[in-house]
Amino acid sequence: MPPLLLTAAAATCTPMRLNDLGHLLQVMGTFLGLSLFSLGGGNTLLAEYHHLSVAQYCWLRPAQFADIYALAEAAPGPSSMIVGLLGMGAGWPEGPGWALLSAYGAEIAILLPSTLLMVVACLSWNRLRDSPWRVAFERGLGPITLGILFAVGVKILQTADTNAAGVVVSLLVCVLMLRTRISPLWFMAVAGGLGAFGLINR
Amino acid sequence: MTDVSELSPTAPAPGLRQLFTGMLMVALSAFGGGLSAWSQRIIVEQRRWMSNEEFLTGLTVARLFPGPNQINMAVYVGTFFRGLPGALAALAGMLLVPFTLLMGVGLLYFQFHTLPALDRVLAGVVAAAAGMALSMGFKILDEYGKDPVALLLAAVAFVLMQFFHMRLVPLVLVAGPLAMAWYWPRPSPPRPPAGEPR
Repeated sequence: MPPLLLTAAAATCTPMRLNDLGHLLQVMGTFLGLSLFSLGGGNTLLAEYHHLSVAQYCWLRPAQFADIYALAEAAPGPSSMIVGLLGMGAGWPEGPGWALLSAYGAEIAILLPSTLLMVVACLSWNRLRDSPWRVAFERGLGPITLGILFAVGVKILQTADTNAAGVVVSLLVCVLMLRTRISPLWFMAVAGGLGAFGLINR
Repeated sequence: MTDVSELSPTAPAPGLRQLFTGMLMVALSAFGGGLSAWSQRIIVEQRRWMSNEEFLTGLTVARLFPGPNQINMAVYVGTFFRGLPGALAALAGMLLVPFTLLMGVGLLYFQFHTLPALDRVLAGVVAAAAGMALSMGFKILDEYGKDPVALLLAAVAFVLMQFFHMRLVPLVLVAGPLAMAWYWPRPSPPRPPAGEPR
């Protein structure tokens, strides 16, 4: 496959030595700091999640990150719950109990700042609505979000790191997502079947 | 489908418990997708808590501010009636069941992901999910098709992230203010907004 797909798995990562509580605080601090940068519905953060969990803190291997992204997309509910799974991966070496604690901690941390800001925004919306700050923020950050989302898409494709058949399926799903209203669960089910029969592998 | 713009809110303002159960219903109904359509159906049409206009305002605010859209929408509905406690009640209702389920899936995954059979299925699912991720940018591309400056900004953001490995936070902090300055509204009539910094 094109060299595009080779970059994701190259770097090795050495985990930081921390005790259980240290890990938990690291996880929570990381996501607290990112919360207010979740533009465009939160998907802009995916590349950053990948960087932190795979390259910086070694919570996950690249293939695990791709798995977790797929699980969060397939599961019912807001796909931003992926942060809970990242936290779970971070705490897993310390056992399932810590993994769960870390998962809840991560999800609360990513949601708390944006929720508080949203409450303030709702309460002062009548003043904000016609403010030039609002107009400039909305129109200015939109295009940047667009560029980031393309970079995120390429990053996930690189991380998926499947064979040629898998890349063809990815591109096909992308087109079908844009052209049809078929539920993406069908795409995942069919592609999962192709994987089970060995047509898609990594 | 009923014409939602005709409906007016008739129900009394919900309390914390009702906010929790209402959002729980939204989350349960939306298994399989369509979360924002379901929240509109339940909040505006069935429970008559809000008018459709108030709901649509909420969608605008939820999309504008940081945070996942559907979660921000729950926060809006909660805040609308009961302030911060309402927001937390609505949020808990929206997340309780899906998050608990996802945690179950996650525990199973981390326990069993080394099984070859599971790994093979996941390899396929991951390929489909990558296609979904790739479609996110294309989905909103049309909104900016007629604005060359917007496309240029998007291209610069993409290139900086993809080829120069710029991280999200510095990118937003540098490019955000520049883009905001470019798009700062220029008042056409001679009516400067009082008290606003220019």
